[in-house]
Amino acid sequence: MNTIERVVPAPRKHFFLLRSPARDIFQFVLLVAILVWLLLLGASRSGYKWEWYRVPRYILGVVEGRLTAGPLLQGLSLTLRISGISLVLAFVIGLVTALLRLSDSLVGRAVARAYLETIRNTPMLVQLFVIYFILGPILGIERFLSAVMALSLFEGAYASEVFRAGIISIHKGQWQASYSLGLSAVDTYRFVILPQAIRRILPPLTSQAVSLIKDSSLVSMVSLTDLTLQAGIVVSETFLPFEIWFTTAGLYLVVTVTLSTVVNRMEQRFRIVG
Amino acid sequence: MSEKALGDYIITVKDVYKTFPGGIAAVKDFSTDIRRSEVLVIMGPSGSGKSTLLRCLNGLEERDSGSIVVDGIPLDQNKKNRLEIRKEVGMVFQSFNLFPHLTVADNVNLAQMRVRKKSKDEAMLMTRDMLTKVGILNKIDAYPAQLSGGQQQRVAIARALAMMPKVMLFDEPTSALDPEMINEVLDVMKNLAREGMTMVVVTHEMGFAREVSDWVIFMDEGQIVETGTAEHFFTSPQEERTKLFLSQIL
Repeated sequence: MNTIERVVPAPRKHFFLLRSPARDIFQFVLLVAILVWLLLLGASRSGYKWEWYRVPRYILGVVEGRLTAGPLLQGLSLTLRISGISLVLAFVIGLVTALLRLSDSLVGRAVARAYLETIRNTPMLVQLFVIYFILGPILGIERFLSAVMALSLFEGAYASEVFRAGIISIHKGQWQASYSLGLSAVDTYRFVILPQAIRRILPPLTSQAVSLIKDSSLVSMVSLTDLTLQAGIVVSETFLPFEIWFTTAGLYLVVTVTLSTVVNRMEQRFRIVG
Repeated sequence: MSEKALGDYIITVKDVYKTFPGGIAAVKDFSTDIRRSEVLVIMGPSGSGKSTLLRCLNGLEERDSGSIVVDGIPLDQNKKNRLEIRKEVGMVFQSFNLFPHLTVADNVNLAQMRVRKKSKDEAMLMTRDMLTKVGILNKIDAYPAQLSGGQQQRVAIARALAMMPKVMLFDEPTSALDPEMINEVLDVMKNLAREGMTMVVVTHEMGFAREVSDWVIFMDEGQIVETGTAEHFFTSPQEERTKLFLSQIL
């Protein structure tokens, strides 16, 4: 016994410190500090004068004694509305496309394939312009709807690949068991395959949602006053590019990180036991 | 041969061919008739087409030609017939295939509610009955991954039985089990056989075949090589291929 105890060193105290989140937090803070320092250094060398105190009024302002959303928050609100609606549509389009690609129907597969290839091989900005400048006037679709259509069609194409991968990752025994019990194809998807597939694809689906929120900044190109366009306007009014663009990036970050965190929680909650 | 009364033919298989893409013939010119309440055991080396044949019987596998009639319903391109047959034919798989995201109760409830259109309460009554029958009622709220292989297979049997099938197909139900769990599953199957369930069982469990089967088909290369009672296979197998196979598994 004695020899063994000598050979195996006792765990040292700082062993736990090394593995604790404190270390990660420390590293993160250090990294941020270095970045900020570099930035300040650069700014002061180029003679930039920081005026952070002027920023808050563009987020929240007081008009006639009442708290009102400033232009940035108004822009954020439009960004959230466009992203929210597009997200739902993108997932519906993605699921339908995936099901079509996996279906027996030759026409269905061809349509899905044509849609996928068109969307994935052209820039989203061009798609937005085509919908807004060409389809818009012809079909009478206004700005907001054009933006939602462009975003959901674009992200839907990528989401469909995620759905398809999730569906085909489910073991074929699950289909066989379900069919052998007399369940229809629709019920098999609804109660057996999709509940398992969606649990599996939550992480890639979340990054797709994050992409959608980020890509929504492109709608500023058709003069929708989303967060990005509002920020541009504020910058041109105030000449505070550093402060405003940092704030804008921060606002996007708050939205996307919140989304990731919520989905993460969901994932743990619905995890299949075992 | 058991002494229970045998009924009319419930499954008629005639001249069934099945070739997989790539030209490998899985089932060749297969014909057989199965009576109500009969227990048929199908044996044969791996790759002999036993499982493929079994899957053809409930339309999980599409055959190339030949006819299959189950309880008077032809298994054909008609989707309705196919679903109707699947309602009447239960199947148990080698790898259990329980639905991992559902509890044991919901695994057994699902098809009763969606296919038999029962309410949750009605389904639950049957579920409790069937889980009691396979001796696993205490696991009703567990998830499949929390069960042993033998327990999972018994749940799978309960799930199939809850549909009140007229025929049960078993595809190597004990092959994926640890040895100490094989008997708990075989016991459930033996009881089922004694209750008069019509069963087609792909298995190498000769003890099971001897105890409850009415007859045995030995298959090789997609064809019937020899048929007879289990006793016949133990005492006087005729074909060389049968003798060779039996010498390997006994």
